[in-house]
Amino acid sequence: MQLIAKLGILADAAKYDASCASSGAPKRSSRGSEGLGATDGMGICHSYTPDGRCVSLLKVLLTNFCLYDCQYCVNRRSSNVPRARFTPEEVVRLTLDFYRRNCISGLFLSSGIIRSADYTMEQLIRVARLLREEHNFRGYIHLKTIPDADPLLIEEAGRLADRLSVNIELPTDASLKRLAPEKQAHTIRQAMGVIHRGQQAVAGEPKAPRFTPAGQSTQVIVGADATDDSTLLRNAESLYHGYGLKRVYYSAFSPIPDSPDSVPLAAPPLLREHRLYQADFLLRGYGYKAGELLGEAGNLALDIDPKLAWALANREVFPLDVNRAEPALLARIPGIGLRSVQRLVALRRERRVRYDDLIQLRCVLDKARPFIITSDYRPAQGELRSGLLRAQLREPQAPVQMGLWG
Amino acid sequence: MIALDCDDLFATWRDQARTLLGHGIDPAEVSWAQGPIDDLLAVPTTLPDGPGPFRAKVPAALLNLLEQAARYRGEQRWNLLYEVLWRVAHGDRTAMLAGDRLGSELHRRIKQVSREAHHLHAFVRFVPLPEALAEQLQLDLVAYHEPAHDILHSASAHFADRLGRQRWLIATPQDGIRFDGSAFDYQRNCPEDWQQWARNADDPGAELWRTYYRHTFNPARLNPDALRMHMPGRFWRHLPEGMLIPQLEGLARQGKQRDGQASEVAGQRGKQINRSE
Repeated sequence: MQLIAKLGILADAAKYDASCASSGAPKRSSRGSEGLGATDGMGICHSYTPDGRCVSLLKVLLTNFCLYDCQYCVNRRSSNVPRARFTPEEVVRLTLDFYRRNCISGLFLSSGIIRSADYTMEQLIRVARLLREEHNFRGYIHLKTIPDADPLLIEEAGRLADRLSVNIELPTDASLKRLAPEKQAHTIRQAMGVIHRGQQAVAGEPKAPRFTPAGQSTQVIVGADATDDSTLLRNAESLYHGYGLKRVYYSAFSPIPDSPDSVPLAAPPLLREHRLYQADFLLRGYGYKAGELLGEAGNLALDIDPKLAWALANREVFPLDVNRAEPALLARIPGIGLRSVQRLVALRRERRVRYDDLIQLRCVLDKARPFIITSDYRPAQGELRSGLLRAQLREPQAPVQMGLWG
Repeated sequence: MIALDCDDLFATWRDQARTLLGHGIDPAEVSWAQGPIDDLLAVPTTLPDGPGPFRAKVPAALLNLLEQAARYRGEQRWNLLYEVLWRVAHGDRTAMLAGDRLGSELHRRIKQVSREAHHLHAFVRFVPLPEALAEQLQLDLVAYHEPAHDILHSASAHFADRLGRQRWLIATPQDGIRFDGSAFDYQRNCPEDWQQWARNADDPGAELWRTYYRHTFNPARLNPDALRMHMPGRFWRHLPEGMLIPQLEGLARQGKQRDGQASEVAGQRGKQINRSE
């Protein structure tokens, strides 16, 4: 089979993984050296496809032959898809060619399970080793980790790659049993633990060889089973704390061709995915707890964003005086982001902050207005009940893909 | 009215501004030429002699902000900078903060400029030259790019980090930059032959990249507005994948949206796998 035909099949097989980040890698440069590639911590989105998602890495499978039969996966063994397999040299050739053209910032390589978990992991490592050692490639490498692989292999991968990821896919044991019978929750967590311990072993040792400097991530599928947002977010929270994960990706389940009856054949729940990314960002960046964002509710509201939902449920905290409130509290005002908080704090050192200043800072005042006090403004809606306020503020939002950074 | 021309060079503007400030000349009294059309109402007076009596002190951070904002192409390009400089030099530091009306415009320009540098890093597409031509021109890779602001010179070092000893060239309608593996050659007016090489490079190898682009797209998630927000249409014509965008959107709208697979793959014969294989 020709390289171009394999590329078509193996890119098509890899597109359901949401992660495409190329950020967080240490500073590396090829200036004046043999070889190719640089990283500086910033990710670059080299293109966007009409699905609105960024193309930052060459994201392919080494092979889509697979022994597993995960129901949600287009590559499961019972799926009637065309199959192909790259040689490691072919993946290297494609990576270097696309990189030279400035189409990508690196490689994200995953694979179907062939022969055994260890054999598959060895093949992925082989590609990374060729790139790093034979071709002096200093661009970004993200390798998928096969959960049941030998911990020694996972450690080897961690020394070559900027990022490793072990996908959870389904966050409950019951769903795994039903839809991914060959996968086990505890081996997934074990693999995460191996990566986390590898990171801890070199933390604070600048001379030690790097180990997954851009961290580890995972992906959960949203909407293939009945798991609610509360379970997803509490799960994410425990992964951030327990394994130092950099990112949890949420992938709205896209219907697959030749779909088994066990998974839905419906349009992907893009708005729900968007709300999960927003809530996840609040966990990582703003110091919210999953329990605060969901309370008793099973799912996030779809008609308003989770920050606004929290503010409406906690009216006693507001209105906040932007001239006095602590920065951490300012960041809880709907429509005011972290960057605006920094700028407000800089401005109020010079003088009193007025309503007009918030306009200059391009805060989203439609959302912020009921929750703020400035030197010349006090909300008339201060007394308005949350239910009415919510009716005013809800707006049908088109789903926007976000959160592919980091 | 003092009418000046700094030839769109920050260093020249800075010297002029320093003299004006020293003589206490109000921003309303000065205007910088913008391209060939001069301000018709301005009766040109020359710059006063000598540094002038007023010794202005401004924070170093301000000069850095002004230099970044100076790369912005647009109305009042140089006048705005002088207005900010004037206010800060006279004790009003809010003029350089984003919360201020003038500072907000300053920061908007800086953001546009840094966004445009990011666009350069993202959307430049190099074409590898065939070996014989590469030897003849002493160039491995060429690219043509149309940035909206003057960022080529300051933002191109990025490619020397990425491409090691490769020799490359980026041509634009205005300026151009060439790297020979160790040193840069920046030309404010892009040489004609650079533009020719960059615009006419033959690229049969781009088909591999287009294949990847077609297949990494998930038609079940069609969201063309998000694409346009992040990758404005003005860049498409120099991207090898640009011509695929309307085509893929059209296919997705005509029914391919029901699942994620590309039709080229759906048309091929499938293979189920036995566990024993």
